[in-house]
Amino acid sequence: MGLLDVLRGKFVDPTHYPSVHEGGDIITTRLDAVVKWGRKSSLWPMPFGTACCAIEFMALSASHYDLARFGAEVLRFSPRQADLLFVAGTIVDKEAPVLKMIYDQMPEPKWVISMGVCASTGGFYRSYHVMQGIDEIIPVDVYVPGCPPAPESLIAAVMKIQERIQNGQQAKSAQRAQKLGSPGDAWIDRRSRRDAWGKEDSERAAQGLPPGGVLPLVPEAPKKEDHHG
Amino acid sequence: MASATEVPARPAYLDRPAVRILTEALGAERVTHVSDWRGDLAITVKRDAWVKAASLLKTHSELDFRMFLDLCASDYLDNRDDRYEVVLHLYSISKKHHVRLKTTVPEADATIDTLCGVFKGANWFEREAWDLYGVVFKGHPNLSRILTHDDFVGHPMRKDFPTGRRFVNKKTKEWLLQVPPDSEHPVVNIGPSHPAMHGTFRIQAVMDGETIQDAEAEIGYMHRNFEKMAESRTYWQIIPYTDRLNYCSSFMNGHGWALAVEKLLGIQAPPRAEAIRVILSELSRIMDHYVCIGTNVVDLGAITPFFVLFRVREEIYELLEACCGARLTVSYVRIGGLAADVPDDFEARCRKLVDSIRQYTLQADKLLTRNPIFNRRFRDVGALGKDDCLEYGWVGPCLRGSGIAYDIRKDHPYSGYEQYDFDVPVGTVGDCYDRYLVRMAEIEQSLRIIEQALGKLPKGPVIVDDKTVALPPKDKVYTNIEALMNHFKLVYDGILPPQGEVYGYTEAANGELGYYIVSDGKKCPWRVKVRPPCFNIYQAFPQMIKGGLLADAVAIIGGLNIIAGELDR
Repeated sequence: MGLLDVLRGKFVDPTHYPSVHEGGDIITTRLDAVVKWGRKSSLWPMPFGTACCAIEFMALSASHYDLARFGAEVLRFSPRQADLLFVAGTIVDKEAPVLKMIYDQMPEPKWVISMGVCASTGGFYRSYHVMQGIDEIIPVDVYVPGCPPAPESLIAAVMKIQERIQNGQQAKSAQRAQKLGSPGDAWIDRRSRRDAWGKEDSERAAQGLPPGGVLPLVPEAPKKEDHHG
Repeated sequence: MASATEVPARPAYLDRPAVRILTEALGAERVTHVSDWRGDLAITVKRDAWVKAASLLKTHSELDFRMFLDLCASDYLDNRDDRYEVVLHLYSISKKHHVRLKTTVPEADATIDTLCGVFKGANWFEREAWDLYGVVFKGHPNLSRILTHDDFVGHPMRKDFPTGRRFVNKKTKEWLLQVPPDSEHPVVNIGPSHPAMHGTFRIQAVMDGETIQDAEAEIGYMHRNFEKMAESRTYWQIIPYTDRLNYCSSFMNGHGWALAVEKLLGIQAPPRAEAIRVILSELSRIMDHYVCIGTNVVDLGAITPFFVLFRVREEIYELLEACCGARLTVSYVRIGGLAADVPDDFEARCRKLVDSIRQYTLQADKLLTRNPIFNRRFRDVGALGKDDCLEYGWVGPCLRGSGIAYDIRKDHPYSGYEQYDFDVPVGTVGDCYDRYLVRMAEIEQSLRIIEQALGKLPKGPVIVDDKTVALPPKDKVYTNIEALMNHFKLVYDGILPPQGEVYGYTEAANGELGYYIVSDGKKCPWRVKVRPPCFNIYQAFPQMIKGGLLADAVAIIGGLNIIAGELDR
């Protein structure tokens, strides 16, 4: 099998299949096809694991299921080094600003997998302190159902992300905002909640301030008297 | 009709030492109520005698209730004269008995004196009771929100607080510690999103070079309202929620819940169900210890033991999957038994699994126990003395690591643990290395229990034959009108326990997992309080790391095995 056969089908557009020049050691293709191919085959995930799903995520990254087979074994615990955010576990309101900051700190292009029903919709925690799906605050590319999802479905999600990368797709805004629960105090209006996040942030942005849910990246240095004066 | 002269016999529990001593010391008018229902001694005292009663229970040599288990509040709305109740659970290691001390707090003046001066462990529990119920603890050093966020308004566990009312929180609390602005010592913030903090814990430490001068912890990043949800669920609907408390060993939580509800109902599961529960609980304990040891050493930079231990965890998963269809969150127990019988090849698979666990544990043992780097990171790090352990209410492997041989399976056997021969491993110093060794030794003891239980696995049904508790078999429901009616009645009405309250406790992987259930006779419990082992253990963490190196804090937290789902509920 020649190099061409190996690479055939790896790139996005069938009209831009690589062609091999004389001797077989030079290949031409489109740059973005190569870039996307490289990106999808070397995902660096950041596991934002909070609960039960994180245990299954560990199982995914451990020896039996071995995420390394998909080129995504380099787990980074710093968002600045990662391009795939795994939100594994329930996100509660107290955790929300942390998650938002982590997402904002990731460099573009970035993708988000919402693992499990808690991260996707709040799951069976319809309650006073649980975020009813992380898409209230950050966009999500792939939702994985299950409580917790089996590692196989996570592998499917990673493959789905690879497909999206190849197709150049990315979730740009929070999706699937809808009302949940019965009317009254228990009514959870995800759209209005999401808008509340977004609206105030745009006002703050107009004043040149960082978004409201985001901690200042560098804590203010304590003011000191000048000793040398 | 009873004649007027007939005096009911004086109940024997009024002569129990705790009742006698409290009545003598406080005066009979301050001890307002005593009961001994389902074997739980409960004493209600007046609010002004609260601190005195608690300290008397702790210090009196005949009682010796030195182990702090749990403190919580409950809300009774208009059902009682005083709206709130504060409940304290204590245990005595030397006398091996429990007590529940209660007092009532009126709505108009919802205050009570703090117990922080009596038990160190009361601190966080009182903060939680204030956060969730708004009962003010006078004299508390730091009465601030602990589980909910700072923008939260109101006290969510009150019965008149709507379950779904949320408040947006956009900013994490920036400083946990008060540091003078001209301080030379930097503050290091660790977590909640930090690999060693496992996503949900947060520590701030004031550093002096590499040494931690002062530290403060914050929790609540995983508070997903188990207790509030439980108040609107029937007793069996709560089983899936319990699975997600300590999700590393979810079967054991359900086991504990089923036992607590069975205690409330006054029933017992059939022997076969109990034996299977024991086997699966011990397998879960092994899984839990594997996660603890595996992730602990990953935090220290050694990834090979993690791969070794997770390989065999997969095999345990496979067995659980064969039993109930789920890998992690099993929901396999039912009130009064199990959801279904185990597969036919269960015994053979179990025996194979036991061999495999032995082999992999030995491999991990070879990698770690005599490893010089591991030894240097673990030995003499994070030791906690026996007295502090009891004051904070430490339980499980952490308590046994400090040299106190308290194991509920031995001291208060349940589910037939008294039939099995096993040892309770204890440590000597109470450092990280001891806790590690205790866990490794417990894996072997669990295997011994499993082998014995497999050897005499009884035949018979796996759920009680009681139409008010257990659903009838499906084949009967489809063919028999009576079974169909029973099925309908039970699904529609739920299990209806008698009015009353119980405290059911089991030895979970991290220690004593207690459920304090208050039933008002309806299909949903009035109040469920989990006594989570991690909450007590983590509370001591800031104190343990003071004076140590920052790198040691990472080694300590992994060895304590704090599970967020259980810590914050």
